[in-house]
Amino acid sequence: MQLKRILVPLAGTSVDPEVLRVAIALGKPAKAEIVAIHVIEVRWNLPLDAILESESERGEGVLDDAVKVAEQSGAHIDTELVQAREAAAAIVDTARDRKSDLIVLGMPFRKRLGRVYVGKTVQGVYVGAHCAVLAYRQEETR
Amino acid sequence: MSDRGDNGGKEGADAPSLEERATHSGSKIGDRRVRIIRPAAGEFRRRGGHYVATPRVDAAQSRLGRVAEGARRILFGARLTSEEEAGERLSKKTGLAILASDNISSSAYATEEAMRVLAIAGSAALALTMPIAIAVCVVLAVVILSESRVIRAYPNGGGSYIVAKDNHGVIPGLIAASALLIDYVLTVAVSSAAGVAAISSFVPAVHDHRVLWSLALIALLTVGNLRGIREAGVIFAAPTYVYVLSLLGLIGYGLFRIVSGDVPVAVIPRDAFEPTGLEMLTPLIVLRAFASGSVGLTGSEAIANGVPNFKPPESRNAVITLVSMGTIFGTLFLGLTYLATHIGIVPDQSELETVNSMLTRSLVGDGTPFYYLVQLSTAIILLLAANTGFSGFPRLASVLADDRFMPRQFAFRGERLAFSFGIIALALMSAAVLAAFHGSVTELVPLYTIGVFAAFTLSQSGLVRRWWRLRNPGWRLSVFINSFGTLVTGTVLVVVVYTKFFYGAWMVLLVMPILVGLLFAINRHYRTVHDALLLERPDEPIPVLKPPVVLAEFVPRNWWEWILHSQTALRLKLSLLFRPNTIVIDIPYHTEDTGHGVTPRGPEDSPQ
Repeated sequence: MQLKRILVPLAGTSVDPEVLRVAIALGKPAKAEIVAIHVIEVRWNLPLDAILESESERGEGVLDDAVKVAEQSGAHIDTELVQAREAAAAIVDTARDRKSDLIVLGMPFRKRLGRVYVGKTVQGVYVGAHCAVLAYRQEETR
Repeated sequence: MSDRGDNGGKEGADAPSLEERATHSGSKIGDRRVRIIRPAAGEFRRRGGHYVATPRVDAAQSRLGRVAEGARRILFGARLTSEEEAGERLSKKTGLAILASDNISSSAYATEEAMRVLAIAGSAALALTMPIAIAVCVVLAVVILSESRVIRAYPNGGGSYIVAKDNHGVIPGLIAASALLIDYVLTVAVSSAAGVAAISSFVPAVHDHRVLWSLALIALLTVGNLRGIREAGVIFAAPTYVYVLSLLGLIGYGLFRIVSGDVPVAVIPRDAFEPTGLEMLTPLIVLRAFASGSVGLTGSEAIANGVPNFKPPESRNAVITLVSMGTIFGTLFLGLTYLATHIGIVPDQSELETVNSMLTRSLVGDGTPFYYLVQLSTAIILLLAANTGFSGFPRLASVLADDRFMPRQFAFRGERLAFSFGIIALALMSAAVLAAFHGSVTELVPLYTIGVFAAFTLSQSGLVRRWWRLRNPGWRLSVFINSFGTLVTGTVLVVVVYTKFFYGAWMVLLVMPILVGLLFAINRHYRTVHDALLLERPDEPIPVLKPPVVLAEFVPRNWWEWILHSQTALRLKLSLLFRPNTIVIDIPYHTEDTGHGVTPRGPEDSPQ
């Protein structure tokens, strides 16, 4: 499989640097274009284009950190900051518009009621994505 | 992958924005998304409703620029953003080390300075050193009690300038400010000279070049402060505590030997004072010795100035630190003075070796590790004390600049968030003073204490007026304490001026009013400019009487190519600058190298 375009959704969790490095390693052979995306979910009581200062500031920070991680790995990435009602739908649609070959999702290791918890965004992307989806779950020990 | 935007949003963008927003439809109804396009991403970061430039914006483009940037980074460190200003608060332990090092380090030379004056009247007069040291400690206790009231009145940091200006008015405030500015310059000069004296006590070769060594110390402190070492608590804490513990150990050991009857033989300096003395012991000499010994009170205002730097409860922690400082200084000063006089140490006329060095040698022997520990820790704490000047002068200058009494440049923070202009100005002035006085502590000390006591007296009396005016609960006690403080510090000021006038104090008394006049003149200039620039009515037309002048300026590709051109545009600009009501429009005309010559690259309508 020739990976030309990889989309990496980032939520600002501890798994972000790892998942980005995985995506960079996967994209390196074919010099794939890597895009890191952060989605700000906007509540329904606000307009979709509402200016959310603190969320935007945090999102920019997540993406700027991703650029630094990529630079440390000797790679260049593009970034995209998006506001949407549902993160999963925005990721799937962005992947479609950008003609991505792969979405690499990061999953922080979390347990709920004794079971590993998979968030609704990961589930939504799994179900809705047109392209391949790779979920990278953080190690249990972390 | 997401943030939930639930902090409340603002519809539409009223504030200037560096971003664009594009709405994209989704694959399903309701899956629309707004893409935030950041053309300046990486160059600007959003911070609490405004944008902050990232280091990439300032990054050098040319090779020469990158080399210069690299050298600057090695020397001064990487640039800091305003938000990186250390918000770290000081604990009592760290606060003591950082803010009290100036005062505590005075114990390294206060005894000696009092002894030097008394020694003029012969060895027998040195017995008066101890009573004088006790008198100085009594004054210190009064000052500490009074300063604790300053902390109570000004929990946001009450420098003498602020206290005097608030309660007495502008001119007394400026007198206090000029006294403090002079004092900070002398703190750097005296502490550097005393630090070198501590080293030259065991490396005599240093004494011959003590001015150069002192200047090197000032240069080191300047670079350190331009890097922003003020916040490095650990750097300060360790040497201060090593100094305090080693001297306490020395005093304890000395007292043990005296009590056990094993009184050591005093080391005799190479150039000792005549045992019979050169003059009769007069009250004036005693007063002069007291004035010299009161150099030990310098630096005790630093804690009251830095109250906001303490962890909460700030005022309480500051008062505890202030009392600890006084206790430590008093113990060291009295202990060293007692041992020096009891053992019979006589100061060295040529300042080749300090009294503390001779005392340590007498007690623990020459060349022992403990001797070197005491001398090295003394040199280091004096260096840190000099640094107090580097932290105080630029801060006071910035406050004065904000109040338009000093040039605006003093309020400007450099790349490392230090007040670079103030630091460099202080370094130059203290270096000049140090060189003019040949790096001699004894020659510098007469100038030193006037500023401190003038500022103390003004701030104490200012507080008396404040308590009287506000009449808060307990105001009577506060009025009594600060009135007593004013009386004591005012008396010491008169004594210092009277006894040291002809020994150099006249210079400070001459410079202080000149400095006040200068500060006032600067303020008058800024006020005049402010009034001239102020439009009396919002609809008042801006006076433009002459048609604008358009200058097309050729800009060479490299800076050094400037010298190959006549600079006509530059000269025209300079002459037009001083022509009233003239608008000058400058159109830069850039070129690029084609290999054979130059080709214009803009503006598009520029002539060929």
